[in-house]
Amino acid sequence: MSAQIPISTFKPYQGEKARLARAYDYLILVLALFLFIGSFHLHFALTVGDWDFWVDWKDRQWWPLVTPLIGITFPAAVQAVLWDKFRLPLGATLCVAALLIGTWVTRVFAYHYWNYFPINMVLPATMIPGALVLDTLLMLTNSLTVTSIFGGAAFALLFYPTNWPIFGMFHQAVEVANSQLTVADLFGFQYIRTGMPEYLRIIERGTLRTYGQYATPLSAFCSALLCSLMYPLWWHIGKWFASTRYLTKI
Amino acid sequence: MKTHFKTWLLALIALTVMSGLPLSSAQAHGEKALEPFIRMRTIQWYDVQWSTQKFNVNEEVSVSGKFHVAEDWPISVPKPEASFLNISTPGPVLIRTERYLNGKPWTNSVALQPGGDYDFKVVLKGRLPGRYHIHPFFNLKDAGQVMGPGVWLEIGGEPGDFSNTIKTINGEMIDMESFGFANGVFWHLFWGALAAAWLLWWVRRPLFISRYRMLDAGLEHELITPQDKLIAKLVLVGVPVLVLVLNAVTANRYPDAIPLQAGLDQILPLPAQVNAGTVNVDTLKAEYNVSKRSMVLQVKVDNRSQGAVRIGEFASSNVHFMNADVTNVGYIPGRDDVSNNGLSLDNVAPIEPGEQRTVSIEVRDAAWESERLDGLIRDADSRVGGLLFLYDDVMGKRYISSISAAVIPKFI
Repeated sequence: MSAQIPISTFKPYQGEKARLARAYDYLILVLALFLFIGSFHLHFALTVGDWDFWVDWKDRQWWPLVTPLIGITFPAAVQAVLWDKFRLPLGATLCVAALLIGTWVTRVFAYHYWNYFPINMVLPATMIPGALVLDTLLMLTNSLTVTSIFGGAAFALLFYPTNWPIFGMFHQAVEVANSQLTVADLFGFQYIRTGMPEYLRIIERGTLRTYGQYATPLSAFCSALLCSLMYPLWWHIGKWFASTRYLTKI
Repeated sequence: MKTHFKTWLLALIALTVMSGLPLSSAQAHGEKALEPFIRMRTIQWYDVQWSTQKFNVNEEVSVSGKFHVAEDWPISVPKPEASFLNISTPGPVLIRTERYLNGKPWTNSVALQPGGDYDFKVVLKGRLPGRYHIHPFFNLKDAGQVMGPGVWLEIGGEPGDFSNTIKTINGEMIDMESFGFANGVFWHLFWGALAAAWLLWWVRRPLFISRYRMLDAGLEHELITPQDKLIAKLVLVGVPVLVLVLNAVTANRYPDAIPLQAGLDQILPLPAQVNAGTVNVDTLKAEYNVSKRSMVLQVKVDNRSQGAVRIGEFASSNVHFMNADVTNVGYIPGRDDVSNNGLSLDNVAPIEPGEQRTVSIEVRDAAWESERLDGLIRDADSRVGGLLFLYDDVMGKRYISSISAAVIPKFI
């Protein structure tokens, strides 16, 4: 901290000072919302990309591995700022909510109205339950280590079951062309994407299917381990940005 | 100020003039941008036809045709081990309802065999009214897109008339345009409401400056109240439990859910249609005269068929160079992709059965330049390729050879 104020001499703001401080709160909140809508959404679109864009990319292996791993980055960094400097346990929820606002705007205007895709083909996934757990765990433990290990793991493990109520119905089987497809696959076949041939999908590939046919838990636990490592990394990136070096008097 | 006024006035006049100029929209899909040796020596399309070019929303249209996978596949292009027959459209203005390769329905990608012959059919259904430039084309894994011939399609009617209902294996009829949308919105709103509640719980009280000062003063215990902790504990336990319960309910509701399907379709080529062995053509030499825009191919034709044959057409990269002396070719005059007098021979006499003859074919047309095929001579791989069509007028037969040769440029 830059300017230690003794407890005995601390006086809360009142009157005009309090009103200005509150106005500043709202100003920062609005700016932060737009900043996170833009930056987190861009970061997410460039990294998770197709796994979040298309219903026929949301597989058992890569989608639950990649999405939480990338999704925990901004929440960790923003938590580092908001918790460390303000004891505000809302960094993860704020980031994920901002991401969803940006995602929905894009899906409706860019994918549906501009490029004619039905919105149900491009429904986004949600990470809000994981973000709530991350925020509350950090608040209750006040520990980077505990939040990294258990919060990071929970963020990854909750992702697939959170989204199954949204996307489970797209995994019903359909008989098409003498073969079985999911409804999601059929979206990819019927609704033409010039730049997205079927083989481009990075789905159901790899050697994670070790225990019988249960691929999702393995992916989720792999993601949990990686999220536990990703969380402190981005926490420190956030902390690095949250300098109060120039704040001498407040 | 005066100088600025003049600048702004000039800018305004320029904008006004420019706004009156006719604007034309892009009408192609960059097919000419791909290196000519890839366009000429990978997927060699022929006999591509559309069932109609004018139809309404909800009506079907099909494109069918054939293609030969060139034997002389460029070394720099990965082999077509995963290929997807696609349709270039500006978004899903049509939907693809059926697709066939060699008569077999297929939905995923397929491995093509160099030297193989295939016929295809794609059935599409109008979704959004408009006039669109459409091509069938192949997405080739790690290689890019090889376009087939393009046409303009006119879709009439109303977008609201479109419907796309399918039946699941369990017999449920679903509307693909709206399936799962309301459910998805509901769950996003549900979790969004919880997130909003959590955010508002904190945002309602003084935030940044006040909390920073209190934390700085060591009053951390006042920033997080016992009530905050109680709510956090409820969220920490309640949210994961709720997630797991909802997941279990969904799993029970869709017990027959299957993973996304990612298999490669296996479809063998047809019996040889091109280079079938009845009339063999061996390319001896190819020279491209830059100033004349003419490719001279020296080929040795070995006619093992029962009738006399004549060379009627050379087709490469969807451009058809026709021999005007051979009249049985069914292309319509006036098409941009057909050069009706583009092919001439040094010896016009038919090649008799059992005869072996070396023929000099001149393929001459501005299309070499306008279609950017002449860029071949500046490529790292400067081999020309294409399909040579030979006709037996008496027996009414057609023989096709896929030919290729290194090109020698002639600049004078």
